[in-house]
Order: sequence, then C-alpha cells, then structure tokens
Amino acid sequence: MATEESRYYDVRHLVGTSTHIDIENGTIEAAGQSFGDTAIVRALGATGWGMVIIDNFSDAGESGLSRAVADALALSHATGERVELADVKTGVLPVPAIKEDPRDISLEEKTELLASIESAARLPGIVNTRARYIESEGTVRFMDSSGNEYQYESLRSGYSILAVAGKNGEMQQARESEHAITGLNLRHKEEKGREAAERALLLLDAAPARGGTMNALLDPELAGVFAHEAIGHASEGDLVKEGVSVIKDMIGRQIANSVVTVVDDPTLPEFGFMPVDAEGVAVKRTEIIRDGVLKNFLHSRETLAAVGDGEAGHARAEGSSSPIVRMSNTFIENGDATMDELLEGCKTGILLKGSRGGQVDPGRGVFQFNAEYGYLIEDGEQRGMVRDVSLSGDILSTMHNIALCGTDLKLTPGYCGKGGQSVPVTDGSPHLLLRNAVVGGRHA
Amino acid sequence: MHNAADYADLVETILAKAGHEADEAEVYLSVSDSVSLELRRRQVGEAEKAVSWALAIRTITDGHIGASMTMSPARWEDCLAAALASGRIADPQVWDGLPEPVTFSRDIDVCDPSLTVDAGTATDLITSLCKAAECGKAEIAGGGVSLGKGSSLIANTNGVFYTREATSASASLEVINGTSTGYEFDHVSHLRDIDTQRVAEEAVFQADYWVGAGDIDSCTADVVLAPTALSQLIGGILLPALSGRTVHAGRSFLADKKGVACMDPSVVMYDDPYVGIGATRWDADGVATRRLDYIREGTVQSFAYDLRTAYRYGEASTGSAVRGGAGGAPVIGVHCLKLDARRDAVREEKAVLAHGLIGAHTANTITGDFSVELSNAAWVEDGEYGAPIRSGMLSGNLFAMLADIAGAGEEQREIGRMTLPEVRFNSLPIIGK
Repeated sequence: MATEESRYYDVRHLVGTSTHIDIENGTIEAAGQSFGDTAIVRALGATGWGMVIIDNFSDAGESGLSRAVADALALSHATGERVELADVKTGVLPVPAIKEDPRDISLEEKTELLASIESAARLPGIVNTRARYIESEGTVRFMDSSGNEYQYESLRSGYSILAVAGKNGEMQQARESEHAITGLNLRHKEEKGREAAERALLLLDAAPARGGTMNALLDPELAGVFAHEAIGHASEGDLVKEGVSVIKDMIGRQIANSVVTVVDDPTLPEFGFMPVDAEGVAVKRTEIIRDGVLKNFLHSRETLAAVGDGEAGHARAEGSSSPIVRMSNTFIENGDATMDELLEGCKTGILLKGSRGGQVDPGRGVFQFNAEYGYLIEDGEQRGMVRDVSLSGDILSTMHNIALCGTDLKLTPGYCGKGGQSVPVTDGSPHLLLRNAVVGGRHA
Repeated sequence: MHNAADYADLVETILAKAGHEADEAEVYLSVSDSVSLELRRRQVGEAEKAVSWALAIRTITDGHIGASMTMSPARWEDCLAAALASGRIADPQVWDGLPEPVTFSRDIDVCDPSLTVDAGTATDLITSLCKAAECGKAEIAGGGVSLGKGSSLIANTNGVFYTREATSASASLEVINGTSTGYEFDHVSHLRDIDTQRVAEEAVFQADYWVGAGDIDSCTADVVLAPTALSQLIGGILLPALSGRTVHAGRSFLADKKGVACMDPSVVMYDDPYVGIGATRWDADGVATRRLDYIREGTVQSFAYDLRTAYRYGEASTGSAVRGGAGGAPVIGVHCLKLDARRDAVREEKAVLAHGLIGAHTANTITGDFSVELSNAAWVEDGEYGAPIRSGMLSGNLFAMLADIAGAGEEQREIGRMTLPEVRFNSLPIIGK
C-alpha cells in the first residue's frame, strides 16, 4: 500500500457518538447526540512526518486509505528534520469493565438523573444552577506499516454542576464534577449539587485572600494540579526535545525534596486511562521523580529516539489530531505525614482547596494555579474562609519546598489542554505542605 | 477544493424531509481544507493537511429546539432523527420563527482568492519566519505556519440560503534564550497581510530582553496590559458577562447595569461584524448581522442575543449567534469585537507592562476577580522599556479595573475576533518573590 519512500505509516480512525445534556435553572436547554467519523494518517518520509486528517473516513475505502498515505508521504517532503522512531513494545490492555453502561440508558432517563442533581443545588440564596452531562463513546482503530493492528472501545462520561450564590449585589460560584471511564455516574449524586450550592453560599462571606509569601497546605485536588502543572508538563519529551523545559538536562539530579515521588500511569483504570497510546505503543507506569530525583521523561516514539531517558507510550491525541506527548493519570505518591503534622508544620499560612485550573511556562519554569477557596491557618489551626486565591512559583525551587506529603492520595478527573488539544486526565496527590509559597490575592 | 455550495442538493433534500417532521428546520454545513507546517527548533518536523466536513441540523417543533451534527454526508438521516429526538426532550420555549431571507447591501472581505492551500506557499512563509528570527540570540524552539480555505452555508425552511467563503493564514514562533522565552503570532485573512518579520522580531526581542530578568518587590503599581494579555481577561470575563443568556440566567456581574455608568467614561466596546477576521453578513441563526454597541461612554448599552435567547426574554436578536454549541447549535458570541478608551501615552509614566498572563483562564468568571502570573513583564517609563521582571503575581478585578483606566495606547491589534489597544490600569497589587 505504501510507496517505496515511506519508512513508516500509521492510521488512527475514530467513529463514535457524543451525547450532551444541558440544564439551567430547571430548564432542559439541550439534550442530544452527534456523530463523529474522522481519521489521521501519518507517513514518515526521508525526513519528517506528513499527516492527513480526513473527516468521514469510513466512506474513504481502501483506495481512500492508499491515497491518504500517498498524500501524507508527499507532504512529508516539506519537512527538514530527520525523524527517527524508537523501537518499542506494542500491545493493547483490556478496557476496564463498565459497571452500568450509559449506552443502555435512555437519553430521557439520563436527563432526569442530571435534573435531580441540578434541582438539589437550588437552595435558598442560589441565583443560578447549571448542570451538564457529556458522554463520548466509540471505536478506535489503529494500524501501522509494521503490522500492528488494534481496535478498542472507548467510553467516557461525566457531569458538572455549577451553583451561583447571590446576596446584596455580590455573587460567588462553586462547582462539582465527576468523570469516569467505568460507566454511568449520575445516580444518587444529589449531594454533589447541594455541596456546590452550600460552598457558593459560604463563599459569599469569605474574605478575599491577602497575597504574599507564606506556608501553604494544598488539598489532594489542588496538589494534583500542582504536580501536573509544576513538573508533569516539564517532563514531556517534546518540550525537552525542543529545549523549552527547565529540567531538560537534569536526569539523575535531585530536583525535589526527597519526600517527593511523581508518577504518570496510563494503565490505572482512571479517567486518564488508555489501553494503548495514540501510536500503538504499549502503555506502562512511568516514574518521573523518585525520592526527589528526576528519573524519566514522558515520551512518544519520536521523542524517545531523540532524547532518551524515559518511556514511550505517552503519545495522545484529541480525536484525529496529531499525537503529542501528554500526561494521563499523574500523581504524587503518598508520604507519611498525618493531617495534624501537616497543620502543625504549616503553623501559620493558608490551606488551599479545590481547583480552578492552572498553567505553566515550562521553558521559564514558572507555573500558576488557582484554588477554588481556602482557609487561613493560625497556630496550626484552621480559621476563616478565603476566596480567589492562587499560587505561583518557580518549578525548581518550589519542588524543593515541598516539606511534607500526607497519606491520603486522591485522584481527581479533569481535562488538560496543550497544543490546541484537550485530553482527559486525572491529577492526584495526598495533602502537601509547601514552604515559602507565593500566594496571590487582592491585597499585597 | 470542494465547496459548501456543492452540497446544495443534499441541503435541499434534508430541509424537505425535515420540513415534514418539524415546524421549521435549519441546516448548517461547513467544509474546509488546511495545510500547516510545524517547526521543531529550526526545521520543519511535521507537515499536515486537514480536510474537514461537518453538517449540523436544527429542528423546531412547538418551541422544542433540537440539534445534532455529523461528519458523514451518508448519516444525514441519523443526524436529522437525532435532532428531532433532541427537540422532544428539550423544554419548549417561546419561538417566533427562523429568519426570512434578506438582501445584504454590504460585502465582507475575508476571502483571499490568491491564497492557495499548499505546502509550497507554507514553506515560503516558514522560510521567511525562520530567516527573520536570526535577528537576535534567541533560538527557535517551535512554531509554525498554517493556511486555510473554507466555506460555510446556512439554509432554512423559510428560504434562507447564504454562503460565506473565508481564507486564513497564520504564523507563530516560540523562541528561547537560556530560560527566557518569547512567543508571538499573527493570524490574517489575506496572505499579503501576514507579517512573519514582526512575529519573529517580537518573539526574539521578548526572549532576549528578559534574559537575566530580576524579581519585583511586592508593590502597588500602574499596569499596562498589552493586547495579548488584555484579550485573555476580556474574552474570559467581560464577554460572558455581556451575553444575554448569562444575564437572564442570573450569572452575570453586569446583569443589573444596563444604562449604568460602571466603567471609565471613555470606554467604548462594540462588535462590528463587517470588519475583521470574523466578519460575516449573517450569524449562526441566519440573522443579518449589524453593529452592536455593548459599552459607550463607560455605560452598558446592550447585551448580546441569539435568536432563542431573544425570543425567550422578549428581546431582539442582535445577530450575535456563532457556532460552537453542543450538537453544532448556535451560541452567543462575537464576530469582530473592538475595545477602545481615551488615547494616552500609556508608557510615559512609570508602570509595569505585561505582554502575557499565565493562568488567566483560572479567573473567577462571574465576579471578575483574578490572580495570575505575569509573563514577559517589564517596567516601562518615558516610552522605553526598563528593567525586565522575572516573575510576579498580578491580582485584580476586571470590572473594577475598567472603571479605573488611565488610558489606552494609540495602536490597535487584532487578536482572533478582538481588536484591542494596550490599556493602562491604575494601582494594581503585584506580589513579588
């Protein structure tokens, strides 16, 4: 099928259905399904990658595939970089069992279940509630010129509930969400609606955070985002290869306190699970940092060949986009500090909880992330609630400033954006104590 | 390249069938071709071509609105069935009909007939980009160029049948000097307008100038946000607050401020749908677009409405529907937003200027509060750059900041669907290291 010039080609074809439900203030705004059918064909010519992305690929047939490979190969002539691919183990893991298959549940019933979460959030003082459900299911087919061929079913579903509280012209919001690969997770979740509403109401009376350098205690959700933003992205092999990671030359060096071990594990049956990566490589657990020492980068076949020092099997793509190096289930391993020890170690500072996301400039080594809310800590005791509190830092110094790790590792699902692509991930950590954290707030 | 209008027969077939099963129906069809080259340091590592096709169907029956989309022409019947099923579940609302066809008196200029979507043209652009990047010490880390040509079509059972063709060219460059990074980009409709020289020179300047940048002490200072930084806050906080849906749903800070002077009296913001990359004569509902004045003299004049939100709340559509909702349905957005304020020499008096913000998407979108990391920030004074700042956290509330503007720079820059000047804000807290 491929011409003589092609050193390698692969095809990744996705056919599936997405379901969405949107309920706001008790009104069902939308509930429906859409249909996707798209593929990416990559070919490696004498130099780099040529790629063709085609919608409606099911109708292309065998001749369409040949034409796409030829087109991709022709495009590769525009490249100048000689791309090599590392030899890797291939193979596909079984997809974790589904407890209750959302495909067996009618759209009407799913809408009713979501509505019960949304209505639970309509407490007195709440001025807006919005619940959304998304479900994507489909078949992913992969084949390459080396004779590898895989097919697996992909199913992800989840919901979010946003509650906005209002009083005397002031408004505050809080959000809860759950996403899973193990089936429908809409039943008996009314308490999540209430939790969002109650927190939004509490935030109305919370004070804006005061910025400054202080000790910070991060809850597992926020500490997970910290692991993801502060070290996860910097360990991605494409950024290392391009020279835009501050840890690019630091394999084998102590880059964090010895209490810190950071792992990316796409084999875990969590929201970032993938049975095989986007270029057919078998997935495996990769220790990025072990006891504070940088051990591995995350790689695709291309970046492993170019950079070394790590594991392939971390190439991911949103739909039929070009595969790039991504995290999957990323977490800081448990330490041995109790909550009392963490609070006592913090003494005076701030406890940060929940996440509104974060961002990193891995080349400069600077990151930022935002907590949903927090509490002041005085003399080792949790005090008043604060809002709109964020934290930023320098990757290299901050990793050394992790003083204590708790024992309550928890993974939280979400989505990560990079290169214009969004992929499902989980981030996780136990509670962490961070010394000399730079906390942002409305008052200096 | 295939064109949306090539599918006119398919569209007519869908509308004919949908018209029998629903009160009204609408078809939106989009096709596009693009070619992009991606840099890996100084060399092209990836060349990509994308051929996209999408069909969205919307049906309305007794005020029940349904929507679905597909990437396969052969699945249009599944798509129509899904749209009808979707409508049966959605709650009904007041609905006064899809628009009737109108004649447009003005044209738009977003299609460059001379732009060819091919690897050769893209190679010429990337060659000039890399050559221009030799102006300093910073090394290329990544970036790329992209060329695109697309057409879209909207048709409904009331006789609307409009088409729009558009082209695009974009270039971006990421460079690094030690641990100092620089990033710049350009995105235009006409190939002749793309400025690879400026993209390269600005990216290299940022990376080179910020080498050895120092810390900033925690302080309160005037802050000048470059259009790149400002667009992140405007897009994430201000625009959602001006959406009619957000306003009526009870989650907009500006909901009770129509007619209220709540910003600096010189602040002007409007959507001119005929001038800019997002220019279009019709919106995603098929409604004729028009200038929409959001803010004049610091006072909120109007909120933005698509057809369904307007009908629901007894307002008129402002022609503000854009594609992007679930099932390919329209949502409220902007086409070509313009923001301005009284012109001033914003870099004359001492201030902190920021080209970018890290973490702007973590802002509190309802209250407008944010706390972000500065990116490529420096002291400026007498119109000149002073000491570069390595890192610092800027906190503020966008709505309060817009009420306390010191001035806007002379030059405007188009960033996506927004055209913005540099804006100087008075007295904001910065947390240093």
